[in-house]
Amino acid sequence: MTGDRVMTGILLPESFLQSQFFLVLATFVAINTIAYVVLSIVKILPRVYVSDWFTGPNRRAESRSIYPDAGGSAAADSKAPSADEPGSPG
Amino acid sequence: MRRGGFRRTVGLVIAGGAIGGALLLWFAIAVNDPASLARPTEGLLIGVWTVFYNTEAPPLRTILASVAVALLLATTVAALEHRVYSRSRRSTDEQARPLAAKLVMERTRGVFAGPITLTVLIPAHNEASLITSTLRALLAQSRKPDRVIVVADNCTDRTAALALECGVEVIESVGNTKKKAGALNQVLAAMLLAQGDNDLVMVMDADTALDDGFLETALTRFTDDRALMAVGGLFYGEEGSGLLGQFQRNEYFRYARYMKRRRGKVFVLTGTASIFRPQALRAVAEHRGTTIPGEPGAVYDTEALTEDNEITIALKSLGALMISPAQCTVVTEVMPTIGDLWRQRLRWQRGALENIGAYGMTPATFRYWAQQLGLGYGVIALGAFVLLTVLMLVSVDTWVWFPFWLGIGAIFVLEKVVTVWKGGWRARLLAVLLVPELVYDMFLNVVHVKGNFDITFGRRAAWGHAHEPKHAWRAES
Repeated sequence: MTGDRVMTGILLPESFLQSQFFLVLATFVAINTIAYVVLSIVKILPRVYVSDWFTGPNRRAESRSIYPDAGGSAAADSKAPSADEPGSPG
Repeated sequence: MRRGGFRRTVGLVIAGGAIGGALLLWFAIAVNDPASLARPTEGLLIGVWTVFYNTEAPPLRTILASVAVALLLATTVAALEHRVYSRSRRSTDEQARPLAAKLVMERTRGVFAGPITLTVLIPAHNEASLITSTLRALLAQSRKPDRVIVVADNCTDRTAALALECGVEVIESVGNTKKKAGALNQVLAAMLLAQGDNDLVMVMDADTALDDGFLETALTRFTDDRALMAVGGLFYGEEGSGLLGQFQRNEYFRYARYMKRRRGKVFVLTGTASIFRPQALRAVAEHRGTTIPGEPGAVYDTEALTEDNEITIALKSLGALMISPAQCTVVTEVMPTIGDLWRQRLRWQRGALENIGAYGMTPATFRYWAQQLGLGYGVIALGAFVLLTVLMLVSVDTWVWFPFWLGIGAIFVLEKVVTVWKGGWRARLLAVLLVPELVYDMFLNVVHVKGNFDITFGRRAAWGHAHEPKHAWRAES
């Protein structure tokens, strides 16, 4: 069955749906909606940090502890999330 | 530094950028002559109900272009933010970014400034109803503060007496007319002179309860990283205030989730609870009036409506390293009425615009400009969606289903639910309904437009609810 019946509309004639303004508006909303849904999918999926896959220069070169003799291992080997990760200051 | 490069025009710049982007898209569509809409098809559902449906979906190239633009924009913003962040951390410009990690490390290499100590400042203006519970939560922390000072600012109630009963110090502000920022500046001016690099200063609101483990986590971070200049709290909404409270709690859950996904990279050092290294606050005071805006010698900018957002941008501008660890959580008040929420959000929006207007377009403010542009475009996008829906509804006499768009809607619902999952069944229930949160978003959009309008036409901003949380923030759209 096809929808050949005449639609009168409540306030506007059904022909309004074929007007240039409405078609541009519909496409504008469609593009925006798809763009926002992409961002929604990004928010649902786990966030990936490419830097996690690599080691080496992104590790700290020295300990940043307040204790000067703390040695370099603790901070340098830590992969706990940190504000300045990845990277050393220089 | 000249204050207010964009002070009045910031609203126009944001609105112009958002409207310009939308018009560009609109004309690009118009010249490509969009195809006419197909008529709906009539069908039977479960052999009983007659339904009209329209299987039309946008052309594949339109879908692909939208996907590409969305991913490109998101990736570009993230990449630029990362680049700004990395360059700031590695900066060797002692004058412009004295708090850059590389410089701090060089200055402090081999120097031991003593063990970590913590002084907590609690600015309070007539907070008798909440100060005791705030202090109890603070003093019950697994790592107790070494010193607690309630800064009683023009109190006419028992705030100071109740604080003394809890065994903490009280300092009364003297002739202060600059509200919280002014009261803090008075105390900090005297205190910072005596603080060593590891004698940390925490500023927290009198109506905020720290979750257990906040101080222990934060202080461990400061111990492990002497280049770390500030730790900010993640806030959750308190229980209560019905549906309106739930809207705000959902917002806060999403923001906390977003911050965790950013691995704590600070957006705003919340005024509800943030800890600073003294050298960071001293650097801000020293550089005001030169490389950053504000009154020379003042830690907090007393002109800012949202002083926590302002000091975050100040610290970022000076190259400071900051973090909001996932374990540093606080519970803060939600606005109980629409009127209070309106005033609070208008102040946040106005404050955010004033801050980026005062700093102008710099690497440190790039992310904030991008956020405001995103919010501005969101107003147009949601408005266009509502307009389309209304026009559609008044132009047909029969309800028509669009399976493609129903599928898209389902993804939105999924995202809304997933992002508040940890908020419990009430948060999920509100999210799954979708429409109420869309209406709430529209409310926030109206606030956004009003904030831009007010700043453009120089309207005086209101300070709002006496107990409103002092963190200036708005969720990512």
